[in-house]
This record gives sequence, C-alpha cells and structure tokens, in this order.
Amino acid sequence: MSTVGLTHGWIMHINIRHKLGRDPWFVIGMILGSVLILLVLLGPPLTPYEPHDMSFRPLSPPSAEHWLGVNDGGMDIFSELLVGMRNTMGFGLLAGFVSLILGVAIGLAAAWFGGVPDQICMRLADILLAVPAVMILIMTAALFRPAPMTLALILSIMLWPTTAKGIRAQALVVKNRLHIHAAKQMGGSGSYIVVKHLLPELFPLYIIGFATKARMAMFMEASLAFLGLFDPSRKSLGIMISYALKYYYLDIWWNWLLPPVFLLTLLIMTVTFLAIGLEKVFDPRLKEAL
Amino acid sequence: MRKGHHIGLVPAYLLAGLVLIYASYILPRLLPGDFVTAMYSSSHVALTADQEDQIRAHYSHGEGFSRFLVNLLTLNWGYSYAFLTPVSGLILGALPWTLLLLGSAHAISMFFGFIAGVEAAWRRGGYLEKAGVGCMTVLEGMPEIGTGVALLLVFALYLEWFPPSGAETAYAMSSPLGRIWDVARHLVLPLSTLVLAYFPGNFLLTRASMVMVLRAQFVQTARAKGLPPARVRYAHAARNALLPMVTRFGLRIAFMITGALVVENIYSYPGLGTLLFNAIAMRDLPLIQGIVLFSSLLVLFINLALEYVYGWIDPRVDYAY
Repeated sequence: MSTVGLTHGWIMHINIRHKLGRDPWFVIGMILGSVLILLVLLGPPLTPYEPHDMSFRPLSPPSAEHWLGVNDGGMDIFSELLVGMRNTMGFGLLAGFVSLILGVAIGLAAAWFGGVPDQICMRLADILLAVPAVMILIMTAALFRPAPMTLALILSIMLWPTTAKGIRAQALVVKNRLHIHAAKQMGGSGSYIVVKHLLPELFPLYIIGFATKARMAMFMEASLAFLGLFDPSRKSLGIMISYALKYYYLDIWWNWLLPPVFLLTLLIMTVTFLAIGLEKVFDPRLKEAL
Repeated sequence: MRKGHHIGLVPAYLLAGLVLIYASYILPRLLPGDFVTAMYSSSHVALTADQEDQIRAHYSHGEGFSRFLVNLLTLNWGYSYAFLTPVSGLILGALPWTLLLLGSAHAISMFFGFIAGVEAAWRRGGYLEKAGVGCMTVLEGMPEIGTGVALLLVFALYLEWFPPSGAETAYAMSSPLGRIWDVARHLVLPLSTLVLAYFPGNFLLTRASMVMVLRAQFVQTARAKGLPPARVRYAHAARNALLPMVTRFGLRIAFMITGALVVENIYSYPGLGTLLFNAIAMRDLPLIQGIVLFSSLLVLFINLALEYVYGWIDPRVDYAY
C-alpha cells in the first residue's frame, strides 16, 4: 500500500489528493484548522485590548466591551485567549518543525550510511525514547527559567527518535529499489541520490510526523504552562486554565474557564484529526506514536 | 541471539539512568550566580539565614558525584524547605496514590480497550463498529485538561455526585470498609479522565492491528476447522494484536505522564503530580529535583521491563535484532 504511494510519484499524487478529500477526519481537521489559523492570523487586529492591561474591573461578567468578561487580575479574557492560543500554537509548530528536521536528517543519514553511524543513531534514539521528555523539560524549566523558544528546541531534541526510526525503516526499503541502483550506476553521488531521490520519496512520512509531533508539543506546552513552568506573564491557554480553575466553583466558570479549555481541546483535536487522516490515506500500516 | 538482545539493552538503560542522575547532579551546580537568593526571593517560603546557608551548601559544596550516588541510594535526597520534611518521605508518601491512579487507569483502559478493539475488528463494517470508531477518534483528540475540567464541572460541581478534590475525606474516622468506599469515590473522577484519555488509543490500535491479523491465512484455517468464533478471535487471532499495544505503551509513556500530572492537579489528587506542582509553585528546588529524578528512573525501569515483555509476547521481536 504505502510502497505504491511512495514510489509512483505524481501519478499517485492525484489519487492521494482525491483520497484525502474524501477522508472525513482529514476534511474536518482542515476546516477546523483553517478557522484556527484564521483566528491566529487575524488575532492582532481582532484583539480588543492589550492582554496585559490590568485596568478593568476584576471578575466583571461578559459585556459588550468585554466579550468574555474580565479575569481576577483585571485583564480582558477574550484578548488573553487570542494571544494565548497564538503562543500555544507557535510553540507546537516550532517544536514539531525542528523535531521533524532532526528526525529526517538523522533517519536518512542512518539509513544511507548504515554500519556504525546507524548503530550510534539508533541506540541514541532508544535511550531518548526511554527517558520521559516532560521530566527533562520540567527540570530545565524549573532551574533555568528559559525562554519558551528554548524549551521548544529542547523538546524537539527529545522528540526526533520516533520520526527518525520511521524514516530510516522506509528509507531502507527505498534504498534497495532499482531506480536508486540505476542512479548509483550513472555515477550519482551520495548526496545527489539522498537529496533528489530519498528525500522527496518519503514526503508523506514528513507530514504525518510533523502533525503528530506538533500535537504532542502543543499538549506539552499547555500542560507545562498549567503546571506553572512558564513565565506567568506569558499568555497561554494552559496558564489561563490553571488560574481559572482556582475559581471554578464561582459562577464565572463558563466565561473564564470554559473558553480556554474549549479552544485547547479544539486545537489538539484538529491536529489529531489531520494526523489520523493523513496516516490512513498515506500508510495504513504506519502507526506512529500518536 | 535471544539472550544477546536483552543483555545488550541493559547497558543502554544503565547508561541512560546514569546520564539522568548525572544531569540531575550537575545542572543545579551550573547555575550562574547566587541562585538560592534569586529563587527564594520570589517564593512564599521564608528561609532563615541558617537554612539559606544550608541549602546553598547542599548545592555548592564540593560533594563529589560518588557521594551524590550514595546519598541517592540511601534515600538521602535532601530536605524540602517548603514542607520542612525530608524529600524522600514526601515522594514515597505520594507515590502510592499515583500508582493507584495510574495503575488502575492503565489496567482498565488496556483490558477493555483490547477487548473492544478485537470485537470491533470482528464486526468490521457494522453500524456499531463505525460509530465506535468515530466516537473513539473524537475522544482521542481530547486532551486530559479538557475532559478533566469537563468532568469536574459536570459531576463534582453541578451534579455533586463525586468529591471534587483529594483522595480521601480528611480526619474521617470510619471502618476499613468505609475508608475503601471513600477512597473509591474520590478516585472515580480522576480515574475516568485518564481512562477516557487512554482507552481510545488502545481501542483504535487493537482494532487496526486486529483487522490486519484477521486477513492472515491461519485465521482462515482456524475458521475452516470449525472452531467456535470466540476461540478463533481470542486464542488464534487476538494474541497477535497484543504486541502493538505494548509497544505503543512504551512510546507513549512521556505523553501519559504529562497528562497524569495535569489530571492529578485538576482534582488535587495527592500524588506525585500535585506534589510536583506545589514544589514548582513554592520554588522548592530539592523537591522538584527529587521528583523529576525519581519518576524518570521509574519510567526507565518500566521501559526496560517492557522490553522483556515484548520478547515474551512475541518471540519474533528477539530475532529482529
């Protein structure tokens, strides 16, 4: 299944686009995703107030001026929400992207060179897989209080192994195909073959890997923020939930607690649907750590 | 060959464990400047000058790595200034609650997820199966924060069926049976949140691998022999769908821990997650360090144990190396 999809380049391409368009999860994911992206892009002009502005009456209910009311610190909840989602999403996309690049580079290198480099990379991947990434993040965050960007990069260093292993396995299959042998016979250099043949032929794996990694990173960002590991002045869905949860028994849970919970759930759900749809269409057998 | 694979793994895990311990030893010592003052100035814990000196000494004096290792083994993990107790006591006190919560959540979601997955694959194409897969895919997309808060609002705040926080009623003098009932009632909401988070993945994965297994020829043979369907399903086919679930468990551990941390906090369940949250809030560095190191080593150990489970479930795994 996958092998066909992976080798016959663009002929299958049309078919795959057709199949993706018919997969309900992928379509729902795309629709939700476009709405969320639109919210993020239109966020800055849409944000009614500066989210750090504390000059409003604390805990006032939703009104025409404050669509979702004001939190305990006197900040406009709707503005917080937009900025928070942008931060959560940005963190996830960055960590997903960097871990994807690391995973692809290491996976391809391991498959192409084989032997000792392969062994080293894969043992390293095993070790990283055995270490819980959250704990490393918590430790660095608690000790050094790094910028969110730095944490995203550290997370991507912890997340590359699953992608690298998937890429390596598939690259080993492609590597022994006839057209690669032909390219070698023609005198194509290693870098030429890797860049021109292996890299594009594994493309479906990249988007699946990216979606699963971005999902994991968004989930982690929200959770770490919830646990209070980020700078408290940085807006994030996780931190909003954490603060609002302290007052959940008051009558403000529906305008303060529910919106960030809803938005975060929507965000994670969107990425999950996209990942599941892509996985189903591109390779039913490839079960990555979802 | 079989033995070789496992023996080769032990050093890798030992190395990983040592790296973790060393990181935990060296990181606080790499901090620039007087971090003790910087850290505790913004916390709620007021330290006397004496205590501040003590903690500074704990991190800065030339205690070697070997001494650190000995302390680790003798449960001498430092002193928590926020709780005024040794760190080891706090961790070992919270551990049973976390084990109870996570253990039962995994046992329930793996067992029922597996059964449901096998049955769904068997009834492939039916309406019930399609609806089940749809629901589970939606649930799979729900983060623990979302389901946790939703369950809290509905069942603890609105319906008031279950207590919103804690693991047992404080100072309740009751019979042993009453205590078990009390603990169970407190467990329901956090447990349901975690089961809702773990169950869909187990279900979907088992179903997917079972669908592949059912196409195999040996399943047809078993059917052709006239074996009862339940026997074909479980004795012949299902055991082949078991391995992916165990593999997935290992791959998802980091993810699951994050979720469990959050769930414990939502319900103020007195396990390691809530302890860690409080330690972070009070900038209690020795405690944070202790929890992080302890749980990382625990996960490492579970992963190593899983490697043996793979080989036991599916001998082919050993030959693959």
